[in-house]
Amino acid sequence: MADRIYRNFIVDDRWKYMVDGLAVTLEITFFAVIIGIILGFVVAIIRSTYDKTGKLKILNFICNVYLTVIRGTPVVVQLMIIYFIIFGSSRDISKVLVGITAFGINSGAYVAEIVRSGIMSVDNGQFEAGRSLGFSYIQTMRYIILPQAFKNVLPALGNEFIVLLKETSVSGYIATQDLTKAADIIKSRSYDVYTPLLTVAAIYLILVMTFSKLLEIMERRLRSSER
Amino acid sequence: MSGNGILIQVQDLVKTFGESVHALNSVTADIRRGEVVCIIGPSGSGKSTFLRCLNRLEDPTGGHIIFDGVDLMDKKTNIDLHRQKMGMVFQHFNLFPNMSILKNMTLAPMKLQGKSKAEAEKEALALLERVGLADRAEAYPNQLSGGQKQRIAIVRALCMKPEVMLFDEPTSALDPEMVGEVLNVMKDLAKEHMTMVVVTHEMGFAREVADRVIFMAEGKIVEENTPEEIFTNPRTERLKNFLGKVI
Ligand SMILES: Nc1ncnc2c1ncn2[C@@H]1O[C@H](COP(=O)(O)OP(=O)(O)O)[C@@H](O)[C@H]1O
Ligand SMILES: [Mg+2]
Repeated sequence: MADRIYRNFIVDDRWKYMVDGLAVTLEITFFAVIIGIILGFVVAIIRSTYDKTGKLKILNFICNVYLTVIRGTPVVVQLMIIYFIIFGSSRDISKVLVGITAFGINSGAYVAEIVRSGIMSVDNGQFEAGRSLGFSYIQTMRYIILPQAFKNVLPALGNEFIVLLKETSVSGYIATQDLTKAADIIKSRSYDVYTPLLTVAAIYLILVMTFSKLLEIMERRLRSSER
Repeated sequence: MSGNGILIQVQDLVKTFGESVHALNSVTADIRRGEVVCIIGPSGSGKSTFLRCLNRLEDPTGGHIIFDGVDLMDKKTNIDLHRQKMGMVFQHFNLFPNMSILKNMTLAPMKLQGKSKAEAEKEALALLERVGLADRAEAYPNQLSGGQKQRIAIVRALCMKPEVMLFDEPTSALDPEMVGEVLNVMKDLAKEHMTMVVVTHEMGFAREVADRVIFMAEGKIVEENTPEEIFTNPRTERLKNFLGKVI
């Protein structure tokens, strides 16, 4: 046991791969979540505006293409296309940045459908009440519909971000040194497959459980404001 | 143009849904300032559609709605601005469930009229006092009874200081024992000369409070008169028939 720890983590400061990898995984996930939320909300608002009013026809079409392509292809393929084709000519681009872009764009498509279902789940009477008070379409969305939609879909959104965190583990396909890649590197030097892989699995598990707990608390707090 | 005391002038209003549903067939009517107009008629006769066209919650297919001298059908008219002056009360209350009663009432005055929180809350509390619900200011909608919700919905609209109040069957979703408390609030409003357009099945209320009653059937105004004449001296078979069924 002590020997395994020594070979995998102590020699040559190999633990640093883990720490650095964890930082990269968290960095990619964090910024991808932000891009995903922004993109997702924008797409959801465009799509539900089209559904409700028939306006924004062209934007709605573009959104549909985006959703179909992103949800119809594997995220690893998207990641590689963005790295090798879209940024192919500028090879000195930061791989972390490519990862953030790819996972953010990918996540945006799933967030969009979650948020749209949330908007649609808010009773149309809420919309009419807002408009009848004099709120514009956008103001009604912002002050009345979206807060309720957000509350309705918080569990689904949380789940999406847990999926995203785990999906970043394919970053190694473009040689990003994330947490999973760190295990890979250590294993190739220590000639021990068990310790690095199980350690990384445990770290993912702890991250996911912590995140789930935080979400649960947040949900409860949001719900208690309604009783 | 708002002379003659006319607040809303409806001219040849037409509304069709799709190809075949003619909800309104060229309806013409005036709503005068300070007047209470009750709209009665069988279900599906276009009462709600008429009311909802007044603030363009429903987009009319044709005709004109002149409110305060401004044609609401004109593309250049900022409808949001005019809706602030037209309060609306719905059958199903439509309170915002994620906000406290006070927040329900102060949101629009603060965001749309630039009132400070303190000012908006002071006005909201005064209105709550008037409808006997001041102690529920911090409650949430699902903690209230239907009658209380509807009274809140009325004062929420009043917070914007509207020039007219539009009611679409405000008591139809209520248990019978709660109808009175809502009608009383509406009667008080009428006494203060609020202009009101009320779609209702409460014939007693129409008879007692209305200055004028409009009877609609099949998307048209069939009879329009004082409540006295409508209820004791109906002229058309249609109205006689309708009254025979509901009274
Ligand atoms: N959104 C809608 N889509 C299609 N038809 C509608 C819609 N709203 C109302 N209608 C139709 O228009 C007619 C008038 O409806 P409405 O104004 O609700 O009547 P009332 O309020 O007098 O019961 C009815 O035939 C109804 O089915
Ligand atoms: Mg109706």
